[in-house]
Amino acid sequence: MAGALTERDFVQKLERAGFVDIEVLERSTMGIDDCALYPLFTEELLATMRRLIPAERLGHVAVIAIIRATRA
Amino acid sequence: MSRDLLHQDEIRSLVRDAYGSIDGGSRAVAEKLYSPDELEGVPALALDNALGVANHLRHARIEPGHTVLDLGCGSGIDSVLAARRTGPTGRVIALDFLAEMLERTSAVAREAGLDNVEPLEGEMEAIPLPDSTVDCVISNGVLNLSPRKARALAECARVLRPGGEFCVADVTVEEEELPPEVLTHPAAWAG
Repeated sequence: MAGALTERDFVQKLERAGFVDIEVLERSTMGIDDCALYPLFTEELLATMRRLIPAERLGHVAVIAIIRATRA
Repeated sequence: MSRDLLHQDEIRSLVRDAYGSIDGGSRAVAEKLYSPDELEGVPALALDNALGVANHLRHARIEPGHTVLDLGCGSGIDSVLAARRTGPTGRVIALDFLAEMLERTSAVAREAGLDNVEPLEGEMEAIPLPDSTVDCVISNGVLNLSPRKARALAECARVLRPGGEFCVADVTVEEEELPPEVLTHPAAWAG
């Protein structure tokens, strides 16, 4: 998650790589409870997130995007 | 705050250590992302170690006979699902930089009765495939792990045939960034 791009940056990088017809087909919110499903999010990391991320943002830590693009 | 808070080698090492140590998580991720029909016949090893972030395969236009590249195949759940769609006249090249993941994917494909899944060890920033040889690249929760995303995307474009498609699910963030303590936490790079 620390390496995640904004959607805009992701799309720009796809364009620069030579992709066209770039479509964002789905977006879904990822909250801290979703993060906890993954063993890669350690208890320590989850505790750090709960401590430092404002409570109102814990349900919306990131956005999962499904993007499809065509190679020109 | 720059996202380049860690060096590329450090990030690779963190991801390698985190993913290499995973052994049997929970079926919760697989059951959240895929329908019971899709999961029917998928071996337990793949179900219990699924780490994708969405079901991008519902949007991937994979046809019988296609060559599909699964970028960062992990334990192989998406490779198996894609290989069913390419059929025996097509194939799925399952790429991962961890030998442990490729062994799992091989075992999962064997157990699923598929002989059109081909494990390939390599990094997404230097895909060991010739130019223009793939019809569709799929990737699920992997690009965010790359310390060189522009390079990885350029590699996807290089191996795709003109008109080929890239269908990716990945974590994105909004403009307001996470706290630096989270961004520099080793587990946050792998998670």
